[in-house]
Order: sequence, then C-alpha cells, then structure tokens
Amino acid sequence: MTSKIILKLPSQMEYLGVPDAVLMEIGSDLDCCKRQLEELGTSVIEACTNAMEHGNKLDEETPIEVVYEMNEEEITITVYDHGPGFDFQGWIPSEELMRERGRGILIMREFCNDLSFGRHEDGRFFVRLVKQLDPTEDED
Amino acid sequence: MKIKERKRDGVAILEMSGKLMGGPDSDAFDEILKTLIHEGCKNVIVHMDKVKWVNSTGLGILISGYTTLKKNGGELKLLKVSDRIENIFIVSKLYTVFESFQDEEEAVQSFS
Repeated sequence: MTSKIILKLPSQMEYLGVPDAVLMEIGSDLDCCKRQLEELGTSVIEACTNAMEHGNKLDEETPIEVVYEMNEEEITITVYDHGPGFDFQGWIPSEELMRERGRGILIMREFCNDLSFGRHEDGRFFVRLVKQLDPTEDED
Repeated sequence: MKIKERKRDGVAILEMSGKLMGGPDSDAFDEILKTLIHEGCKNVIVHMDKVKWVNSTGLGILISGYTTLKKNGGELKLLKVSDRIENIFIVSKLYTVFESFQDEEEAVQSFS
C-alpha cells in the first residue's frame, strides 16, 4: 500500500530543513537504512532549493509543494514550483571542479535511483526523485 | 548557520553549526575570512561537527573560501565532517580538493 503526504512551504530558504525533517520522520517507520534516507534527504533539499530559488524566485507568497509517496519498496518525492523549468535533456554537467554553483542536479542524480523532470497539467514544473529501499545496505 | 571563531597555534578555527546553505551565510563567512586575511591569519579550519546538512549552495561557500585563502597564500581545511556530508563531497569529487581531519590537533599541526 502506498501512503501519501503533501507539504506546502513558502519559498524561503529558512524552510529548507523542513522537507528533510519530514522525510526522516517518514523513514523512521520504514524498513530502510540511514544512509539511503540521508541521500534522499540531501536530494530533496537540492530539489527544494532549486524550486524556491530558480522556480519561484524566492517569492514567499508562492509556495512550493512537496509530495511524498512511500511503500515498502520505495519512496517517491515530487517537488512542484511555478517557474519556467529548464531543458533537462539538454543539460550537460560542468567539468569545472571549483565552480561555486551548479551541483544540485548532479547530487540528485547520484543519490536517487530515478530522477525526472516535467510539467504537470496544471502548469507547474516538477522534479521527481525515486529512492528504492534496501534495509541491508548499511551492513557493508 | 552560526559561526564561532577561535584561534589555536596561529590557525583560525571556525566552528559552524546549523545548516550550511548559502544566502546570508555566504556573506557572513566571506566577511570573517576577509577579516582573518587582513589580520594575517590565512590558515583556516572549518569545524563541521555541528553542521546538520549542506546543500550545493553551501558547498559553494566552502569552495569560495578555499579559493580566497589559496589566492592569499593560505589554506582551508575541514574538521569532523559527518558521514552524510562526506558523501556529498564524494559524489561531487570535492574530496580531492579539501583536506579533511577527524582530530583537531592533527588538523592544526598539518599547517606547520
């Protein structure tokens, strides 16, 4: 059975810890390891950073929405904003190691089993993160 | 994020706590580094023990600090990075840039 939680947050960076804290609470009831939860938590912080900053331009009157869907096998998190989105297919990661920005997508891609972007029928842009759960992964 | 500054054997130790995520954090960190450089203290340890998480913008703050100190003949090193944050350094390949320690004494002595 899949459960669902929906969270709405003002587009203000001070709230970036909230989606991570909610995930840790959700994870405490699931059979998954700490490292997996932390990787997904880091990814949702990145997704929300982008949604608040680039999507909603830090307008606190325009909320982002974070939707958690979880079952025994995986957690899916979708983050919605009201921005123009970007061309993910054409995105090429920078090779410049000392760049000060532009690592968010790379981090999400590395930490999630699936990462996708799209536009909802209501016009909002979204990023979707999927993490498959493996309770034994911490043991190695 | 809060930053508490102290010195040990001529090395500045910046004890960070909270969430490292850019915005005003970036300005505060830059300001402290500028003051330290002005005072002639160019070797800095960022103590990460109480940092809960870092996002990519927060990584940018550390990179900017590293570059600023390097240009001024100094170095920025990390102390007590959590497993969660170390994982981010690994996927972003920044572990090849930042020297990292778990022991403060060892971190301070590494500058001599």
